[in-house]
Amino acid sequence: MKTDDLIMALSQDTRPAPGVAKRLVGVLPVALFVTLAAFVLVWGVRPDLAGAMTSPAVLKSVVPLVLAGLAGTLALTLSRPEAQAGRGAIALGIIGAVLAGGFVVALGRGGVAGLVDAMSPPSLLTCLVSIPALSLPLVAAALWSLSAGAPRRPAMVGALGGLSAGALGASVYALYCDQDAALFVLPAYAAAILIVSLVGMLAGKRVLAW
Amino acid sequence: MRAANCGDAAAYRQLLSAITPVVRGVVRARGTGLGPEGCEDVVQEVLLAIHLKRQTWREDAPLRPWLYAIARHKTADAFRARGNRIDLPIEDFLDALPAPEVPDPTQARDVEKVLDRLEPRAADILRGLGLRGETVAETAARLDMSEGAVRVALHRGLKAIARLRERMME
Repeated sequence: MKTDDLIMALSQDTRPAPGVAKRLVGVLPVALFVTLAAFVLVWGVRPDLAGAMTSPAVLKSVVPLVLAGLAGTLALTLSRPEAQAGRGAIALGIIGAVLAGGFVVALGRGGVAGLVDAMSPPSLLTCLVSIPALSLPLVAAALWSLSAGAPRRPAMVGALGGLSAGALGASVYALYCDQDAALFVLPAYAAAILIVSLVGMLAGKRVLAW
Repeated sequence: MRAANCGDAAAYRQLLSAITPVVRGVVRARGTGLGPEGCEDVVQEVLLAIHLKRQTWREDAPLRPWLYAIARHKTADAFRARGNRIDLPIEDFLDALPAPEVPDPTQARDVEKVLDRLEPRAADILRGLGLRGETVAETAARLDMSEGAVRVALHRGLKAIARLRERMME
């Protein structure tokens, strides 16, 4: 086929193609509904929710929510081929550093013995399974939306999509989880969210390539 | 491009025709080992990518950086798939002189190969619109389809071409 002929055919295809943002607006409410429905049916909110929401434990939901927003915005930006990471990446780095710093402070107070104590196997396992499970519809929605984009680095944008979905899943899971010790929450939630990011990265490498 | 995204086929064709010599110039300069036909395959791959990813251009953003980013990514990708990894500085596109106009634009082989593997009706629509220069309305009348159905088939066909090409390279 000659190039001019291809151009002819291409120019006839004038159907508007929805972009990443448009897809996300359509599919995110659905994914969020599935996640919340699964949460209500399988997990359910902690009995002392009202009390927890007025204590520092509310941060377990708020911080992941901020993280999800930042990572999601950055993924959206980087899904355009000419985009630069810029300030979004810096903000994400700052949050990561603050959280790591918080963990070091908590570790300094509680010591390694405190960490081992906080990492009681049943709640750790529940956390590491629940957050990825709750995030699954969100990851799917993120990757499907982002596949309308044209990222220069598909794996990285996939990881950001996963990070955003994992953090959103974590903020939902926090409504169930009654472990409020920083020595538990910081490492366990971080590990669970990173698992989802890894899934996003591996899937993104394939799904988001163009 | 704005007009194209609003559905103005003529403006869109003009734009694609204007971009093509620039892309061709860069691909030829870089891909001397591919031969003219191989180069034209890469050019077509870039055009297809520009088309399928056109919604990632923001109307308030300048068009050129977007266009160059797509062309650069896709050219590097195409060369990589053909086994010679290259480093493609963005300046290449900025400084590129359009390839000299050849009287008969080179025929590329890849799309033809892919068309043979496409669903017959989709291939027919693509050939009609491309090679024979039919309009959507004419194709619709010939195949007894609605214009909307022809447009959908065309869109799916173009996407399938991009997908099949990638699989062919693996």
